[in-house]
Amino acid sequence: MAGFVSSSTFKQMRRGLQALLGLVLINAVFFALAPSYRHLANFMTILSNATVLGCLAAGSTIVIISGGLDLSIGSIIALVSVVVGYLLMIKVPVLLAVLAGLGIGALVGLLSGFIIVSTGIPSFIGTLGMMMAVRGVAEIIGAGKDMSAFPKSFAAIGMGYVEPVLIMAAAFALVALFLSKTRLGFNAFAIGGNAEVARLSGISVKKNQVLYYLLGGLLAGLAAVIETSRLDFAQSSRGSGQELNSIAAVIIGGTTMAGGMGGVGRTIIGVLIMTCLSAGLSHLGVGSSWQRIAIGIVIILAVWIDTFQRDRATKA
Amino acid sequence: MRKVSKALLVVLVMALCLGASAWSQTKTIAYVGFATSNTFWNHLGAMAKAEAAAVGVKFLDLTPPEPSPEEQKKAVENAILQHVDGIIIGAADNRAFGESLKKAKAAKIPVVAVDTGIDDPQVFSLVQTDNLKSARIAGKYIVAHMTKPGKILILGGTLGHQTGDARRDGVAQMAMDAGVTVIYRACDWDETKAYETCQNELAANPDITAIFGAWDPAAMAARAVVKEKGLMGKVVICGFDGNPANLKAIKAGEINATVKQDNDKMGKDAIDITLKIIKGQKVEKFYPIDGFIIDASNVDQYLN
Repeated sequence: MAGFVSSSTFKQMRRGLQALLGLVLINAVFFALAPSYRHLANFMTILSNATVLGCLAAGSTIVIISGGLDLSIGSIIALVSVVVGYLLMIKVPVLLAVLAGLGIGALVGLLSGFIIVSTGIPSFIGTLGMMMAVRGVAEIIGAGKDMSAFPKSFAAIGMGYVEPVLIMAAAFALVALFLSKTRLGFNAFAIGGNAEVARLSGISVKKNQVLYYLLGGLLAGLAAVIETSRLDFAQSSRGSGQELNSIAAVIIGGTTMAGGMGGVGRTIIGVLIMTCLSAGLSHLGVGSSWQRIAIGIVIILAVWIDTFQRDRATKA
Repeated sequence: MRKVSKALLVVLVMALCLGASAWSQTKTIAYVGFATSNTFWNHLGAMAKAEAAAVGVKFLDLTPPEPSPEEQKKAVENAILQHVDGIIIGAADNRAFGESLKKAKAAKIPVVAVDTGIDDPQVFSLVQTDNLKSARIAGKYIVAHMTKPGKILILGGTLGHQTGDARRDGVAQMAMDAGVTVIYRACDWDETKAYETCQNELAANPDITAIFGAWDPAAMAARAVVKEKGLMGKVVICGFDGNPANLKAIKAGEINATVKQDNDKMGKDAIDITLKIIKGQKVEKFYPIDGFIIDASNVDQYLN
């Protein structure tokens, strides 16, 4: 058992290092080719740009490690955005509106988790359904309303380069602590590795899974609050496609899609790889279509390296 | 036996209704707008309704709550069954109506498209904002107000989308005429992408002195970035649509301008043109409608 743990820890570290190497490499290229990329202000921009995706991907990391997948988080962004926007428009205190937003994110996550564990349908399908349904609810709430020009204290959450980055850092730190220091966090790895074994060893798999979706939803809610504050208006079309970016960031970081292996530290690297890529390509004057091609290639490369190594590990 | 008599009764009532509507002098125009969830369309519908009342036409609003080609198609067929005299469609998808339009043709009901063109012989006319021309108006405004030399960043819609491309081209033409460099980035009508693109491009090109958002939320995203970078007042921001959020930002002096589609005129003209067709008068295939600039000088009259 001890040997198993240490060898897997070693492999995991190696995967994390590979992603880090990728990040350094990408930055080296941009440093060499684009003079404007080298400015300090640019790195502030990159960090600030990373915050929404960062919070989202921190949540996805927990869900994916536990062997699940949540496609509804993009729609959660939309729902939380219009709910918070609506509450602020009817002059609900900022703190209350923010808490309500986070609560709704968690609630949707809870519901997704509950649907998945109680029906036994695959998480892909369950959350695909939630993705559509939640977007519909957001559209109904947001229909025809102007939600903008929020109080200044709300704008402080996401505007600028300090607060949102600090919030993201705190989110990552808490998720890291959760995954490495708590029993519930440890259970996520066990369930993702083999749910049946986890169940036999006395873990209440279903309850835990629901909790992981809840946390994923909560962090999506946090992402939505930051973004709504930053843009100073709410809209139900927001966040579409973000679930895929979030999954991409987790995978690029080196957490395996199959579950059981990974970590939130490498997700930071995945998020930074994606943000640096689009920033750097902008600095090189590369158009949006080529930016997409580049990110697509990186995703394929990352997963390919992952699969290749796992194949080799099973053969050896 | 009872079933048969019931069926007969239903047929009789239907025939009476149909007959009554055919005989009545008041014409009915059905309006199938984009969606009632959309402020722009709500206003357009209200204007059409007011115009219908003004010219003494019965106005039948069959707009679905959410943008759905399927629901719109049902609404059009519903209108045909009710034997209206004309139908106005603001299509969510211009390819959805082929079959229904054949039925409209068989029932001799003329159709007028508003905002989005529908390629079908039964669609007599199209009332549409001239995006290219309106974007030229925006381009002219931007070029006149920006610091030169400088670059214009265009935050575009989805690449290949007719509306977004026309708005890009209009601004780009005016910029090029003035010798200003244009950076175009497709943002898929997604304000999150517009925000990130804006962050990146402003970091990469400090000489950007104007930003055009091809739809208003992109201008809102640009405003957030310009504010964060402390460039307020140094970068001209112009959107397109005239959304309430942008009007408030214009009032606050944080966005310079937006181009408003003239949905007053679109709604009014759609009714007038449909009525002309019903009366057998000749109409044009296309009625382009110009947008106009809202900036600090006239924003008050549009802020309710």
